[in-house]
Amino acid sequence: MFVEDVLIGAVRSGTAVLFAAEGEVISERSGVINLGTEGCMLTGALAAFATASWSGSPWVGVAAAAGVGVLMGALHAFFVVTRRANQLATGLAITFLALGVTAALGSDYVAVEVNPLNPVPIPLLSDLPFVGPVLFNHDVLTYCGLALGPLLWVLLNYTRWGLVLRATGESGAVAFAYGHSPSRVRYLAVMAGGALAAVGGAQLVLAYTLNWVENVTVGRGFVAVALVIFAAWNPLKATAGAFVYGGAVSLQLQLQARGVDISPFLLNMTPYILTLAILVAATRGRAQRAPDEIRAVFGTAGA
Amino acid sequence: MIATGHRGGVSLRHVAGLHRLHALTLPLVLLAGFVVISRVFDVSLDDTLIRATPFVFTGLAVAVPARAGLVNIGGEGQFVAGMVFAAGGALALDDKLPAIVLLPLLGFLGAFGGFVWAGIAAVLKVTVSLNEALSTLLLNFVAPLLLGYLVFGPWKDPANYSNLPQTAEFEDSARLPVYGLTQLHLGIPLALVAALVVWVMLAFTRWGFRARVLGGNPEAARRSGIAVRRTLFIALVAGGVLAGLGGMIELTGIEGRLRPGIGVGFGYIGFLASWLVGHRPLEILPAALLLASISIAGDSLQIDHNLPSTSVYILMALVVLAVLGLRGGTRRAEG
Repeated sequence: MFVEDVLIGAVRSGTAVLFAAEGEVISERSGVINLGTEGCMLTGALAAFATASWSGSPWVGVAAAAGVGVLMGALHAFFVVTRRANQLATGLAITFLALGVTAALGSDYVAVEVNPLNPVPIPLLSDLPFVGPVLFNHDVLTYCGLALGPLLWVLLNYTRWGLVLRATGESGAVAFAYGHSPSRVRYLAVMAGGALAAVGGAQLVLAYTLNWVENVTVGRGFVAVALVIFAAWNPLKATAGAFVYGGAVSLQLQLQARGVDISPFLLNMTPYILTLAILVAATRGRAQRAPDEIRAVFGTAGA
Repeated sequence: MIATGHRGGVSLRHVAGLHRLHALTLPLVLLAGFVVISRVFDVSLDDTLIRATPFVFTGLAVAVPARAGLVNIGGEGQFVAGMVFAAGGALALDDKLPAIVLLPLLGFLGAFGGFVWAGIAAVLKVTVSLNEALSTLLLNFVAPLLLGYLVFGPWKDPANYSNLPQTAEFEDSARLPVYGLTQLHLGIPLALVAALVVWVMLAFTRWGFRARVLGGNPEAARRSGIAVRRTLFIALVAGGVLAGLGGMIELTGIEGRLRPGIGVGFGYIGFLASWLVGHRPLEILPAALLLASISIAGDSLQIDHNLPSTSVYILMALVVLAVLGLRGGTRRAEG
C-alpha cells in the first residue's frame, strides 16, 4: 500500500519535470543549454492557470502555456544564438524575468480555483492490480508525458530531423557545410524545448498543485536541466530520471502524511540531494558524451 | 567558424555606439541609472548602501570563480549557509565573549559556512567533474531548508511568546557597530575593502594570474603546469567564503537574529551584478548600487501599489539582459 502510494505520487509529481527535461534534451542536443527552463515552466504555469480560469477549460490553458513557452524559448534563442551571449547567465536572467513577471501578474490568481485536468482511467488497464493505479489512472497530459520519452528517442535516432538536430549540437560548422542553418535549427529546438517546459508548468498547476502561488515551480526547471546531464542527453533515461525525482518528492510527502517524526524541512531536502546524488553517480566521464557544442559552454575548465 | 559567422552583432553594436566606448562607460552608466532611480523613487542613500552591501559580497562570490572559468550560481545558498553558521556561533557565545573577539569569530564562522557550501560543489567538480553551475544551483534549495529546520526546531527562541519561527535576538556583542544613530553598519566599508582585496588578488597576485590563465584557456593552463584542480577548488571556495561573509554581515549588521526569508534572492542578484560588469571586481560596486536602488524602489512599489516585492526582478533582469545582449559574443570573463 505504502509502495503503491509512493509510486502513484512519483508519476504524479514527476510528470512536470519530465516534460521540462524532454524539452531540455531537444534544446541541448542542438547545442543550447537553457537555464531559463525554470522560467519557461513558471510562465507556462501562470499562462495555463490564468487562461484556464478565464475560459473554464484546462486544455485552452495548456495551449496557452505552449504558446508562451515558444515565446520564452525564442527570447533565450535570440540572446544566445543571435547575440551569442553566455548561455548560463542569459538563462538565469530569463528565469529571473519570469519570476518577476509571474509574481506581478499572478497575484490576482493566488486564491482562484480552476477546472483541473481530471484523471481519465484507461478502461481495463486501470483495473490491473498495482500497475493500474500507478500507471493508468492519470490525467491525459501524464499519458502524453509517458509517451514523450520513447517518441523523442525514435525522432532523435531514426529520423532525418533528429540527425540534423544532433549534427548541429555536435558541430554547427558541419551542419552548415551540409546545408543546414545552425541558427535556425537552434531557434526551433530551443522554442520546442520552451514549449515542452511550459506544458510541464501547466501540468504542475492544472493536475498537481491545483493552485497558483508565486514561484510555484521551486526549482523543478533547474532539476530538469540537471536530469538531462544525468540522462546523458537520452530521452528514455530522462524519463527515468524525472520519475526518480518524482519518487523522492512523493516519498517525503507520504512519510509526512504518515506522521513520521522527521522535520518536514529535512524531508523536503531529499529531492534536491537525491538529484545531486544521481548526478554524481552518473557523471564520471559523462562530460565526454555531451554534444560538443554543449561542452564548449559547460566544459570551459574541466578538472 | 563558418557556421556561426554572422554580421548582425556588428551593426547592433554600432547603433549602441558600444564599439568605441571607453572602459569607464559601463560603470558610469550604472551609476547614472542608480542616481536616476534614487531620484525618481525617492530612495535614501543610507537604505541603498545598506542594501547594496550583501550584493557586493554575492557579486564577488560570482566574480572570483568566473575568472577561473567557473559559473557559481550558488551565492544564494552560500549566503544562507554563512548566516546559519554565524547565527550558531552568536547563539552559543554572545553572552560569553566581548564584541572585539566574537565578531571576528562570527566572521570566520560565516566564511566557513560559505566555504562548506561551495566546498561540496568544489569537491564534486575536481573529483568527478560534476558541473559546478548545476551543483551550486541545486544546493541553493537545500540551504534555506536547513535554516527553516533550525529556526522552527532546535534554535527556536524559547522565550518567544508569539511563537514565531526565529532565534532569540543576539546580544550587542554579536552586532556589528553602527555609525551614530543610523543603521549604517561596519559591513558597508567592509564590502568596499572586500572588492579592493579581490581586485588586488585577481590582478596582482600569482594565484590571480593562474586563475585568469585557466579561465582564458584551460588547455594552455594545463600545459604550462598550472595546478588546475587546486586552482579551480580555491576559486570556487573563495567565492563561497565571500558569500558566507556577506551572510554573516547581513545577519549581524541588520537582522540581529536568524529567521526565514532573510536575504532571499540576494545571491541571484549578486550573480546578475557580476555578469553585468563582466566579473570586474571594482565595477561590481556601481552594479550593486544600481540593483540595490531598484530593490529599494521595489519595496515602495510593494507598499504603494500592492505589487509583490519580486516584481523588481523584472527591471533587474531586463537591465542584465540588455547588457548581455549588447555585449554579445563574450563567452568568458574579459581580462
